[in-house]
Amino acid sequence: MSQNRWLATGNFFTSYKQEQRTFFTHLDRTIFTCFLVLLFGWPLVFEISNKYMLVLDNILIAIVAVMGLNLLLGFAGLISIGHAAFVGIGAYTVASFSQVIGDNHVFITHFWPVVIVCAGIMGAIFGAFVGLPALRLKHLYLAIATLSFQMIFEWFIQFMSFFNQGQTIYVGRVHWFTGMVGRSDHYLFWYYIILIFVVVLGFGVRNLLKTKYGRCLVAVRDNDRAADAMGMNPGLTKVYAFALAGFFAGVAGALHAYLYRGVGFESFTLHASVGYLAMAIVGGLGTLNGIFWGPVAIKFLDIQVEQFSEFVGHYLTYAPNVATALKPLSFGLVIVLFLMYEPRGIANWWRIVKSYTKLWPFRY
Amino acid sequence: MKSKTALIFNVLLVIVFLFAFTLPAFAGKTYKLGMSLAITGPTSDAGNPYSKGAEDWFKFVNETDYLGDGDKIDCPIRDDQYKNDTTKRFFEEFLDDEILIFLSYATGANLALKRDFEEVKIPVIPASYHEGLIVDANYTFMPVATYSENAVGLAEYVVGKHQGEDTPKVAFFIHPSAFGRGPLEDTQKAIAEGLKIDIVEVVEHGTDLDNTAMLQRLVSKGVQYVICHTVQTPVATMLTDAQRLGVSAGSFGEKGKLTFLGAHYTGGSDLIALAGTATEGYIWADSYNLTSENNEKAKKQLELAERYGRDDKAANSHNYGAGILAAQIATEAIKETKAAGLKITRGNIYKTMQTLNFESFAAAGPVTYSPTERIGVDVMNIYVAQDGVFKKLQSFESQYIQKVRAGR
Repeated sequence: MSQNRWLATGNFFTSYKQEQRTFFTHLDRTIFTCFLVLLFGWPLVFEISNKYMLVLDNILIAIVAVMGLNLLLGFAGLISIGHAAFVGIGAYTVASFSQVIGDNHVFITHFWPVVIVCAGIMGAIFGAFVGLPALRLKHLYLAIATLSFQMIFEWFIQFMSFFNQGQTIYVGRVHWFTGMVGRSDHYLFWYYIILIFVVVLGFGVRNLLKTKYGRCLVAVRDNDRAADAMGMNPGLTKVYAFALAGFFAGVAGALHAYLYRGVGFESFTLHASVGYLAMAIVGGLGTLNGIFWGPVAIKFLDIQVEQFSEFVGHYLTYAPNVATALKPLSFGLVIVLFLMYEPRGIANWWRIVKSYTKLWPFRY
Repeated sequence: MKSKTALIFNVLLVIVFLFAFTLPAFAGKTYKLGMSLAITGPTSDAGNPYSKGAEDWFKFVNETDYLGDGDKIDCPIRDDQYKNDTTKRFFEEFLDDEILIFLSYATGANLALKRDFEEVKIPVIPASYHEGLIVDANYTFMPVATYSENAVGLAEYVVGKHQGEDTPKVAFFIHPSAFGRGPLEDTQKAIAEGLKIDIVEVVEHGTDLDNTAMLQRLVSKGVQYVICHTVQTPVATMLTDAQRLGVSAGSFGEKGKLTFLGAHYTGGSDLIALAGTATEGYIWADSYNLTSENNEKAKKQLELAERYGRDDKAANSHNYGAGILAAQIATEAIKETKAAGLKITRGNIYKTMQTLNFESFAAAGPVTYSPTERIGVDVMNIYVAQDGVFKKLQSFESQYIQKVRAGR
């Protein structure tokens, strides 16, 4: 390894320990720290409207959910078309507490971090359960199994009166050390909370991938028989991949419930599952930074197309309803184009930019 | 001489500038409202003409100085595509813009935002007539009779018109959601209060393209009346199948056949366009005045549509009228608040709305609110599809819905 830890060039690993560093150079660490300071610091300097704060909060929640999906699909190679249902499990765990003990019960309003973790655990339990078919099924068949879970989830929520048949179940306002978090601070408060979750869980994923459990995921993805021959347990690995994905999704669901102060069925439909899949693909499967790029890109696209179709909708008659088709059309087009021309996702563009700067001022 | 000309020129320039900058002060005030609804996406067949109705009315208000003193209404109309999360985002955007009244749309979104409405104390005029929106809610002002009122009213109408001594056998054909189930629950409560109908079967439809088995089953169970509470497409499919099977009643309550009835979103010109002659005889409860009535009210609606170049489909849609009514309620609230000499604030508009009373050309009856009554138009028109249009049979007010509400 180079003596100068600030330089990106000329760094060679001479031990496994060096390879397991979170940051390979001091420069990486410094840039990351600055970025983190920026993320935490900008709301103190710039005032932003609730509308945009809500969009940012939503993107961060999607990042938490996509972290789980990327672990499952990108690192373990197990497809899931029911990820929104796992997110829903987390949200409905909060809603269940709300139904049983009341939405303004101190457990929900004061011990919300515990509730969020409980929701994650519930997501993990359901994830592990749904992951059981993965012991026998692969590829398309596994996709159908997870799709079935999505359908069962939707049916249960829509027909069980305990879940208000899919209509909103309210969640009370949370308390902080300074008292109840009011309407004016709500979105900013949750921005910080979700950001903390993103950072902690992001480091969790980074570290997991350096452990034998993380390497097992990749080994099973590449060839589960070979992994078995190497002494790994592919069955257990697949189940805990689903459990992990369920945990992340459950946490995302609970954060969604608290952010919106209520849980309604329509945020966890098959359409949302496809959205998470798109985020994972566009971001870059099996990459860490793709987890962040995907949700940002898809949510941004979503808002742009939404505004465009709204503009078109105002001027077209409603009979052919062309404007309605614009959103799914553009959404599908983006996925197809990425799969065709950039299957490694936006993360690959990031990699190219990094490689370029690494060698700069020499030609790439 | 030169300096004198320059001086005059400068003075004139200052006057022009002063005039230009003070002009907006004489141009009247602009009151901000916000509207979020499905212009595209699910239910946009209703949302799109609804938005056009509201848009045209606000244009008319601004162009004709309806509010007086050059005051205008600025109401951005946003397309939430029937998504609660998007509606929430737009609502926050509108709050940032300090709107006075929120014109909302879907049942789900309204229920999700119910607490926010109470918190920010903003008057809301929804396009959803779900009874739950006015339960434990102070700021939601329902424009017309609720879905529950439609369903219970239709059941009462069946009881009133049914021939024979037996209890009418009724099936409910509903949307598989709380939107569909709510009015059914209230009808069941009305039965508990003494309404004499027998609900033989409740069908929660899916996306079936064939209802043969269901219709044959209903006939075999002796069902005579099918009350629908859903949207137009599944009703159109069912009516077409009933016509094909020959089980549609030729006259109201014909024995051994099915008489179909439905609430607000099941009927209208769009249903006729979808089901054609199969719609004949369909009974529809709605609180809007239809253009097919060809009365003075209808003429005004068509004039407004023509003024802004709307096509026939939009102009004749009862959803276009619904959009006009929602916009009219907001406009009249501002106008009345102004007439009372009060400052135009959310609080004062809310106070005014509690006693708002006016006639609308879009509605079947007058809009009347009171501190205890949050439904504008209580009266329903019972229409029947005849010769390709809906014709009014009678006006109707549900009696049992009051008992159901009292029992809450």
